[in-house]
Amino acid sequence: MAVRIIADVLIFLGAVFATAGTIGVLRMPDTFSRMQASTCVSTLGMLGVMLGSLLYAVCVMGSVSAAVKIGVIALMILVTNPIGSHAIAKGAYRHGVRPEKPMEVDDFRRDFDE
Amino acid sequence: MRKTTFPAVLATFVVCFLFWVLLTWSFTVQELAAGAVVSLAVALFSARFFIHEKAGWFFNPLRFLKLLGYWIFLFPVELVKANVDMARRCFTGCTDINPGIVKVPVGLKSDYGQAALANSITLTPGTITMDVAEQEGQTYYYIHWIDVTASGEEAGEAIKGRLEKGLKGVWE
Repeated sequence: MAVRIIADVLIFLGAVFATAGTIGVLRMPDTFSRMQASTCVSTLGMLGVMLGSLLYAVCVMGSVSAAVKIGVIALMILVTNPIGSHAIAKGAYRHGVRPEKPMEVDDFRRDFDE
Repeated sequence: MRKTTFPAVLATFVVCFLFWVLLTWSFTVQELAAGAVVSLAVALFSARFFIHEKAGWFFNPLRFLKLLGYWIFLFPVELVKANVDMARRCFTGCTDINPGIVKVPVGLKSDYGQAALANSITLTPGTITMDVAEQEGQTYYYIHWIDVTASGEEAGEAIKGRLEKGLKGVWE
């Protein structure tokens, strides 16, 4: 029973962070800030849900193989997510995407543009 | 073309085989033997693409423990702190931001260390590594930062100071 409650709390916390990230994606003013908010979903949002389901799989279902698969899913997301982020951020900037309100500090433009 | 070395094959084989065991999660002799054969074939063909430096660190328990400690203790703390900060900004209307791209020097020398650090920075909400540049032997990251409060060395200390210290002993 206690384990059930801990698992539920973890999943709820994951959902809270995922909600925060989603609000950020919808309301942030420019592409790069939106990407920053979306990282919230794919880190703690995902990890909370995964840890919760891991506890549930081990202690309630008693299935180690399900737990291992959940662990592998979490690992895969953690390993592949930053690579996509690098590529999207750099690609967007090189393509000419700029915030409406110019950034105060922009070393990238200083070194590579114009 | 790079040569296939024995430590590189061994390291790739161990990782492949561990993944096989994790995914199948059955310990009959037949399954393990099949996994070993497939892992060895994959390792022989692909080791030279994966391992570009000395593969020996993989078998040094002290360094491996340090890396494990980094992923289990140090990084999650930073991750939670950054996540809470980002969630606060999102829930309070997304107006409390001051985005910008800063160029920070990196203290790590090896390719693996730099890759791990760049990925850790991208994984913490609020900072995304956009590009890597090398000038006069010093490596720099271009980092998009949601709340710019400093520049140059100070920005580097604020963004990745603790992560970098944690990774320092692992590869060099």
